[in-house]
Amino acid sequence: MTATASWRRLERRLPTLLLLAFVLIFFAFLLAPIVFVVLVSFGDSEIIAFPVTSYSLRWYHRLLEYRPLLDSLWFSLKLAGASAVLAALFGVPAALALARSRSGLADLVSTFLLAPLSIPMILLGIALLYKLSAIGLGISFTSLLIAHTVVSIPYVVRTVVAVYRGIGRNYEEAAAILGASRRQIFTYVTLPLIGSGIFSGMLFAVLISLDNLSLSLFFGSAQTNTLPVVMLSYLQNQFDPAIAAIGTVQMVIALVALLLIERTVGLKFMSSPS
Amino acid sequence: MTQATAKAQSSVTAGEPGLRLRDVCKSFGSVAALQPTSFDVPAGTLCSLLGPSGCGKTTTLRIVAGFELPDAGQVLIRGEDRTYDPPQRRKLGMVFQNYSLFPHMTVAQNVAFGLRMARVNRAETEARTRRMLDIVHLPQHADRYPHQLSGGQQQRVALARSLVTEPSMLLLDEPLGALDKNLREQMQFEIRQLQREIGITTLLVTHDQEEALTMSDMIVVMDRGRILQTGSPAEVYEHPRTRFVSEFLGTSNIIACTVAGAEEGGLRLRLPGDEGSSGFFVADVPVRPVGSTVLVAIRPEHLRIVPAGEAGPSEPRATVSGHVFRGATHVFQLQRPGLDRPLMAYRQITGPVGETALPVGAEVGLSWLPGTARLLEDEPLREDAA
Amino acid sequence: MTAAAATSGRRSRRALGAGLWPVLPAVIFLLLFFLLPLAENGLQSLYVPDAAGKLVFSLDYYARLFTDGYYLGVLGRTIWVSLLATVICILIGYPVAFFMVRHAGRWNGLMIFLLVAPLLTSIIMRTFGWNVILARNGVLNSTLISLGLIERPLRLLQDPSAVIIGLVHVLVPFMVISIAAVLKGIDTRLEEAAELLGASRWRTFREITLPLSLDGIATGAIVVFMLANGSFLTMLLLGGGSVVTLPLLIYQQFLLVQNLGFAAAMGNVLLVLAVISLFLQLRLIRRDGGAS
Repeated sequence: MTATASWRRLERRLPTLLLLAFVLIFFAFLLAPIVFVVLVSFGDSEIIAFPVTSYSLRWYHRLLEYRPLLDSLWFSLKLAGASAVLAALFGVPAALALARSRSGLADLVSTFLLAPLSIPMILLGIALLYKLSAIGLGISFTSLLIAHTVVSIPYVVRTVVAVYRGIGRNYEEAAAILGASRRQIFTYVTLPLIGSGIFSGMLFAVLISLDNLSLSLFFGSAQTNTLPVVMLSYLQNQFDPAIAAIGTVQMVIALVALLLIERTVGLKFMSSPS
Repeated sequence: MTQATAKAQSSVTAGEPGLRLRDVCKSFGSVAALQPTSFDVPAGTLCSLLGPSGCGKTTTLRIVAGFELPDAGQVLIRGEDRTYDPPQRRKLGMVFQNYSLFPHMTVAQNVAFGLRMARVNRAETEARTRRMLDIVHLPQHADRYPHQLSGGQQQRVALARSLVTEPSMLLLDEPLGALDKNLREQMQFEIRQLQREIGITTLLVTHDQEEALTMSDMIVVMDRGRILQTGSPAEVYEHPRTRFVSEFLGTSNIIACTVAGAEEGGLRLRLPGDEGSSGFFVADVPVRPVGSTVLVAIRPEHLRIVPAGEAGPSEPRATVSGHVFRGATHVFQLQRPGLDRPLMAYRQITGPVGETALPVGAEVGLSWLPGTARLLEDEPLREDAA
Repeated sequence: MTAAAATSGRRSRRALGAGLWPVLPAVIFLLLFFLLPLAENGLQSLYVPDAAGKLVFSLDYYARLFTDGYYLGVLGRTIWVSLLATVICILIGYPVAFFMVRHAGRWNGLMIFLLVAPLLTSIIMRTFGWNVILARNGVLNSTLISLGLIERPLRLLQDPSAVIIGLVHVLVPFMVISIAAVLKGIDTRLEEAAELLGASRWRTFREITLPLSLDGIATGAIVVFMLANGSFLTMLLLGGGSVVTLPLLIYQQFLLVQNLGFAAAMGNVLLVLAVISLFLQLRLIRRDGGAS
């Protein structure tokens, strides 16, 4: 009797336990490269070898000595911030209009505004390099800014549309009945409600921009090297833990940003690919 | 299993209850969802588990279905211990709250699913599916998908799907909750008729007292993981043992009365603020000490009110403080010194509406037939004592 | 009062048609810096320098891409590698998504965080991490040697399997998230209903859960396939020339040979693959919208 009971309980749980084991292995797989990079970045040896025997901050000191890495990080942050702001200026009004429209035209427009996400970056990079060189911008901060804004707009539009749709019309209609003008409604009701959406959309744009190698690759010069470009060329010339250190620094920046998003609107807007 | 063997088996186990729960209990973490619970459902009858959400009725149903394992106790279906059988082997039919029709299958595929799982051959599957769809009046909808059907039609498909396998028991989990009022009443009737025709033991989970009263042979009232009362609808309605039961099934006026004296076969009680009168008699109740406070429940439809002028001199008085017209009845709210809460009384409308109406502020006399006031088992709460 | 109401009524009715004007700046910006460059790029690939160095209209680049065995091989490998990565992502991602939705409970938040966190670390860092693990003197080899399982380090890098590992690692979170989103919408009572009707757990999964989650698999597959198609970093850093795909070739053509026209032509082939994926994705979304 009790034997049946415990067997039944086990039988019922066994698939779940196997699944749990699989999931644990999966996360080990997912996190292993990151964990080892962080470990290596605190190692003391010239070459990358395991196990790490002694720990030091020498590779972080190296970042301070070898300027291109940190300089490019700073450059990338400026670029990412500027393109996110620009993307918000273009994207937020568009998103607000699209979220409340049901016309077929609106469908077409939103497909178009999201399209840059579906184009291979490397192609977009080549195409933009041509175009921007042809109109005299060539390799410059402005060119990079335009390229990154093209890719950032979809993230802002997607997030703001989702947040604005989720809110529904009721609050704005309530404000209108209470006598608020269109501008007052926007300032006192709409904007506070979608503020977190705009913020997280911009943060995503920043994070994507920071890691966008394919797009920046074609605009590299001494003055316009973004972090991924410098990391790649560094990696191709020497293979030492400095790359682990700068990667760790960037990761910490990204994690802080992620926690900020989690605190504001949650992570669910990361998920849907459309 | 063919019909013949099913019949043979039911005759062998004649007298066995269709479902028997023996001291079944279940807790989730530190929360006891179900205290040790036992009840029998006679074979072929419909039993309702009635109670508010969180009362343990759904847990009980899920244990019977095999979705949850009880911490202890036994579940016997037709006399066989099924406590630890997986749902697949219990041969039950179930209609879920939202019907849970498979959205990617047609009506016919939905109904045939159980037969397909049991590896019934193709021809028989088709024949039984068609017959079942005829029974629920949906033969022409066989190739539609669930989302193309109305709520009532989906409900019928769910019923057909659960019955086509000739299960040993039918489980209904709030099956009518999603339907509007008229359709719900119609479906209550249809389900009940079908259940009687087939003679299948049925367990219905509901929080709707009206549904429980109209559909069941037997009601199990539950609250906070315990059974409060079991009995036929009429028994439970007419003889609520506790305040919870009397208020959950229908409406009740709960009045804290004083025991004025014990008489042969019952107690003489007095309403609060009625100290001078001889009070009223309640039969067939356990003896309570004179002077103590007890709770009495009187249904609003049992309270008879007449203008004070026509009332007998010994009848307690009250003042009309509110009035609502409800079609077939007037609903009056009555105030009486010594009572915290107003009393509710219904007055049947037999002629022109105005004839039976009473103005707010009017003084009335109260009376009720002997035997309609029920002594409750609960101890009065402090707030009940005036 | 009534006049004002009438005016605002008219205005709002007009707004229904013309309310889209705020999209104009974004649309113009993307027309200029997204659609136009891609179109010009398309044209560019159709002009090939002749003997005198003058650009003349020609389908030469495309002819080379689709007739030369080498380039056909690259094209085929691009699709094959992406497909393989997609299939592996489905096989790995589905159980994880299933666990997250059905069993994770309060750990769900943590799991989402762990899933998304790698997406936000530099892709170079993650690829570098695989370098650290798979290198001759890397984590895996030293562990295997110290356990006595092997005597001499295995050659794990510069190998197609390293590329697939790297790709799956980068892309599997997208698959998990897509599948989980759809699984979350499936009522568990459907599965209970099937079990009660006699279906075994496996049968229930095959007949109910899997068919109902196909949309999630499809969405995830398109995203993963598209991203795999466009990536070259993994091939560059982990493949060491053993897996040459179209994007990697574009990168090399551009940086080493500076043959922009040819790079543009290859980019356009890549674009066609992307547009097909995008089209499939739109069809899926439309179908979802119709069903609900």
